[in-house]
Amino acid sequence: MSSSSVTVVEERILQYGRKEKLSWWGKTKNFRTAMLYLFPSILLFSIFLFYPMLRTVYLSFFLTDAQGVASLFVGFENFAYILQSSVFRKSMVSTLLFVLYTVPSSVIIALFLALLANEKLRGIGFFRTILSSTMGMSVAASAVIWLFLFHPTVGILNSFLNIIGISSIPWLLDPQWALISIAITTVWMNTGFAFLVILGGLQNIDQHLYENAEIDGAKYRYQLRRITLPMLSPTLFFIITITFINSFQSFGQVDILTQGGPAEATNLIVYAIYRDAFINYQFGTASAQALILFILVFGLTILQFKFGEKRVHYQ
Amino acid sequence: MMKSRGWVVYPLLIISSLLLFFPIVYAFLVSFMSGTDVMNRSFLPSIWNWSNYERVFETVPLMRYLMNSFIVSTGVMLGQLVVCAFAAYAFAFIPFKGRNAVFLLFISTLMIPWEAAMIPNFLTIQAFGWMNSYLSMTVPFFALAFGTFLLRQHFKTVPHELMEAADIEGLSKFATFYKVVLPYCRTSLVTLGIYGFLTTWNMYLWPLLVTTNDEKRTVQIGLKQLQTVEVATDWGVVMAGVIIVIIPTLLLLFIGQKQLQKGLTQGALK
Amino acid sequence: MKKMIYTIILLVLMVGMLVACGNEEEAASETPGTSGEENTDNNSEENTANNAENNTDSNEKNANESEASGSEPQTIEFWHGMGGGLGETLDELVEQYNASQDDVEIVAEFQGSYEELLTKFRSVGGTTDAPALVQVFEVGTKYMIESGYTTPVQEWIDKDGYDVSQLEENILSYYTVDGDLHSMPFNSSTPALFYNKDAFEEAGLDPENPPRTFSEIEEAAELLTVSEGGETSQYGFSMLGHGWFFEQMISTQGQDFVNEANGRDGNATEAEFGGEEGLKVFEWINSMHKAGSYEYYGQNWDDIRAAFQAGQVAMYMDSSAGTKDTIANAPFDVGVAFVPHADDIDPQGVIIGGASIWMANGITEEEQAAAWEFMKHLQTAEVQADWHVNTGYFAINPAAYDEAIVTEEHEEFPELRVPIEQLQETVPSSATQGALIAVFPEARQQVVSAFEAMYQGMSPEEALNQAIEATNHAIETYNRTATEE
Repeated sequence: MSSSSVTVVEERILQYGRKEKLSWWGKTKNFRTAMLYLFPSILLFSIFLFYPMLRTVYLSFFLTDAQGVASLFVGFENFAYILQSSVFRKSMVSTLLFVLYTVPSSVIIALFLALLANEKLRGIGFFRTILSSTMGMSVAASAVIWLFLFHPTVGILNSFLNIIGISSIPWLLDPQWALISIAITTVWMNTGFAFLVILGGLQNIDQHLYENAEIDGAKYRYQLRRITLPMLSPTLFFIITITFINSFQSFGQVDILTQGGPAEATNLIVYAIYRDAFINYQFGTASAQALILFILVFGLTILQFKFGEKRVHYQ
Repeated sequence: MMKSRGWVVYPLLIISSLLLFFPIVYAFLVSFMSGTDVMNRSFLPSIWNWSNYERVFETVPLMRYLMNSFIVSTGVMLGQLVVCAFAAYAFAFIPFKGRNAVFLLFISTLMIPWEAAMIPNFLTIQAFGWMNSYLSMTVPFFALAFGTFLLRQHFKTVPHELMEAADIEGLSKFATFYKVVLPYCRTSLVTLGIYGFLTTWNMYLWPLLVTTNDEKRTVQIGLKQLQTVEVATDWGVVMAGVIIVIIPTLLLLFIGQKQLQKGLTQGALK
Repeated sequence: MKKMIYTIILLVLMVGMLVACGNEEEAASETPGTSGEENTDNNSEENTANNAENNTDSNEKNANESEASGSEPQTIEFWHGMGGGLGETLDELVEQYNASQDDVEIVAEFQGSYEELLTKFRSVGGTTDAPALVQVFEVGTKYMIESGYTTPVQEWIDKDGYDVSQLEENILSYYTVDGDLHSMPFNSSTPALFYNKDAFEEAGLDPENPPRTFSEIEEAAELLTVSEGGETSQYGFSMLGHGWFFEQMISTQGQDFVNEANGRDGNATEAEFGGEEGLKVFEWINSMHKAGSYEYYGQNWDDIRAAFQAGQVAMYMDSSAGTKDTIANAPFDVGVAFVPHADDIDPQGVIIGGASIWMANGITEEEQAAAWEFMKHLQTAEVQADWHVNTGYFAINPAAYDEAIVTEEHEEFPELRVPIEQLQETVPSSATQGALIAVFPEARQQVVSAFEAMYQGMSPEEALNQAIEATNHAIETYNRTATEE
């Protein structure tokens, strides 16, 4: 996403192109070559993402029959229905809350761990390996483990709480706690990947900057604020964006841990779409929700780029 | 100075590692427990026995599933490398008209939730006759916006001296691509490879949908197969399944951790 | 060094291409004949009427092929949703059948949860990817009938002169629509009340005389609740977050769930559980919840069972299929009783749950015949006895209860007889026959949401209304497209 996206090589090529008087065929040479390289991606995207997306747009204007075939054109009725439906509103609120719970905490925890693991100490490799381990965990495996930890009767989390004198928490049973429980699971799963990315970012920072600061006698916190964080900002921006998008699309952990309950508190939007499409067989409303989700994520991501990139410091 | 920080950092590292790694360790412990241990919320199994593992292999054709997961993950990994490298090369080195628009189009695919596209895709797969074939679990994932982005960012760090040299030598674009760019950016390729392998290994809903028999199924489905609804779930057996499923990916992660971390930042940085 | 590295990468790329190409060839050889593709296209675009024609078409082609193939055993695919131990038992049954004869090989394939299984069948129904036999949960019955992808087993019963009267009437009635049996019941269960006998004794209740009515349960729950300093260590009663249990409370009051005689005389247009019958149930649960003698353990079957096993709750309702496990695992004596009913009524009985087996119509007559043989085999007293003992589901064929293994089992666990008696005492009516609605999964979800909203403080009336409105909306939406055809 760099602003200096045109490299010297590209400029050379551009100049080269300008020097000669080119026919239309010649002028589009680059375009044609590029398309050759892009063809596999574009083809696959078209079949497996853009086409389904268009189909989704189409279906969102219909009611579907028992076979899932669009059989009754209803215009914007599906949209009107979900926008005034309390279930959908609740689902939106839960999703936004969930994003709010997971994105900042995932990034902050990962940053904290990466700062720790960036110290040059003996055996640090071991710690780095452990701290990145959740990246290798599948959603299915992670969620099953947490399901067991949260278990109201045999779950060990409550045992720990009881030992330190806190009464048991109804992890997955109380609407508020259930959303938090799912968020904890998600943050745990996110940590490994975010940690690796941020650690890599830290190690790319020029050591001379620190050496100079040490000579000037700067404290750790000053270094952190003035050197580490600014230099790390592109990495942070990247990981925030990725976590943000993934967070909106969380599905597996909801499916395994709560199935959207209790009282619809964890009916996150992608799960709501899945439920409408796979359990209720209402492809029309499911499609309408999918479309709204897409527009929302797209809009928020663009906003993030608009405002976020200004604060990112590029070398 | 660094050393003096050690006594603050070590305890913090140890505590965080314990907290973070605890669920995995505990899953491992539970996988050796009997039903009574589980009910008593024991922390350690009273007797270590392998019977849960034996049960898993009896209930589910796990070796076959592991094999399939391996084939599918490797297939996606290779396919992604090829497709993404091509696309990234175009974005990084070919200044064509509408490049930004196409790039935005690519990035927008990140925002389409796969679950929302699943039903139309299922019908497509079926029309192609790809049910119960490795193709249905690999080909749709070859194109990846994240991978393209990652590689593009690294490709752009190729020193222009190198590119000029290639130019002077009269290498064609394709030759430059595989003789200069790819070798220079191998870290990112390895990173994307590991990433692709891990994420594919971990898919669970899609493989279940597009396979109807054990022949081509992957391990995550095995996990599902161990759970039941109307009768009690045997947690020890389920956890044994979890451990078997995560071992390959954890191993890969432990081996490739350094590479992965290097490559991921090259993508994020510039 | 550099050279070596890029050679490796190049190699990797080439291997990648090769793998991709290789796979394609493999797929091409796997692709079924053109008849299958035709069907696929039709299936996604057009509706059932056309399919029927195409099916006969492809039937003929397939028939020719199978004649040519000669003595190879015929393969019958059977999709099911039985995970864990249930799946193992089923696999054993299938293996035994395959070993007992050489003509047919049944291939049982697990396809995920009931929902995932049905979704998948919906997508492949009417094509060559569809299995010959598919297990569908009870609430999918209406959908399956309307899908046009199945042959009612009644056709084979008539053709074969099979005597269905030997099977349990109260189970058959659920799957009988307009006088025809559409699918073969397979794993059937009903809910029952499970209680902790030790806790009963401690509370001064008679463990041999369990409570039956709502108010009896409420009183007992009060006595069974043990709390100290605001911390409750044992709750009196609990109900799983699953619509099935609520449906029983409605049916036992003789009330239909939806209109049109529970959707059995015609397409249901309205939910009918919103009257005083439904309100009684909501108020009953709410009053116990308010009093602190009721605790909610969520929608997960395992959680409520674990709570019972750990002595955190003294009475709860569970599927009869879990009876043996529950008794065997509990560290205390377990009692089993009929499901509770509202005060001052004559209890009408229960509706069965579980799943049944459907026969696909996109297959040859021969294949159907083979599938039918297997279905009949599953209903023999021997197999049913095996199934009943190993899983806890009912024997569809009551003769199985006289088999030695069953009588022995029942002597060891006399509680196993309670759900059977409860089922046999059920008074046949549209209410106990169970509702037939296409949007049943959604209706169930709405009922659970309503209960959960009530636990969060919503009044019983409001919660019930919410469930009724959402269910009506779902029915209405469905009917709009259904009548459009």
